[in-house]
Amino acid sequence: MNGMHIGEVSTLLGISADTLRYYEKIQLVPTIARTGAGIRVYVERDLSRLRFIKRAQKMQFSLREIAALLKMREDPQHARDEVRLLTGNKLDEIEERLQDLQVLRNELRLLLNLCSASKDGCPIIERIDSKEC
Amino acid sequence: MSRPPIQIEVFSSPGCDRCGRASELLREIMHELPSDRIQWREVDVVEELDYAVKLGVLSMPSIAIDGELVFKSQPSMKELRETLEARLQTGDA
Repeated sequence: MNGMHIGEVSTLLGISADTLRYYEKIQLVPTIARTGAGIRVYVERDLSRLRFIKRAQKMQFSLREIAALLKMREDPQHARDEVRLLTGNKLDEIEERLQDLQVLRNELRLLLNLCSASKDGCPIIERIDSKEC
Repeated sequence: MSRPPIQIEVFSSPGCDRCGRASELLREIMHELPSDRIQWREVDVVEELDYAVKLGVLSMPSIAIDGELVFKSQPSMKELRETLEARLQTGDA
C-alpha cells in the first residue's frame, strides 16, 4: 500500500505524532487506513487535509472552525448555510490579514532601503526606537 | 475660479545623500514655472512613515504629486519639468 507512516508525516509537515493521533481521535481527519499490523498509513488525501489544518491554524482558526471548513472543503455544493457563512467570514479575515501583511511588508522594505541608502548605518531604526520609548 | 495649486511632496530621510539633489532639482524648476500654481514640501519618511507606506514609497528619493506617487526614484530634470508642465496644462483645461 502506498502512503506514509505517522513518523514520516510528522517530519514532513512538522506536526507531532501525538497531534496527528489527536486529530484522528476528534475526527478532524477521518480514520486513517491501517496496515495488517495496525500501523497508520497516510495517503495524499490525508496529507492535503493536514496541510489545510496547519494553514488554518496559522491563521489562528479554532479546531471547531477548522472542522466546519473541512466539511465545506469535502463537499462545497452541499455545505450548510452556517458553514458557508463561516467560510465567507474567514475569507474576509484572510483578506484583511493580507492587506495588513502587505502594508507591513512595504514598511519593512522601505526601512531596509533607507538603511542601505544611508552611509551612516541605520539611524532611521534608532530614531523610531527612541520615539517609542 | 482658479485651480488649487499642484501639491508636490519629496520623500527623503536623514542620511540620504541623493535626496538633497531631488529638492535642488525642484527648486531650480520652480524658477521656471508659475510659483503660485505649485506648492511643495519635503516629507521626512521617518516622521510620516504611515503616509509614505500608504503612497507606496519604497526608496529615496521619491516624489508624489497631488497625493499620487509619480517618481519612485530620482527623476531627471527633464522628466520632472515635463511632468509638472503636463499637470499644469491639465489644470488649465
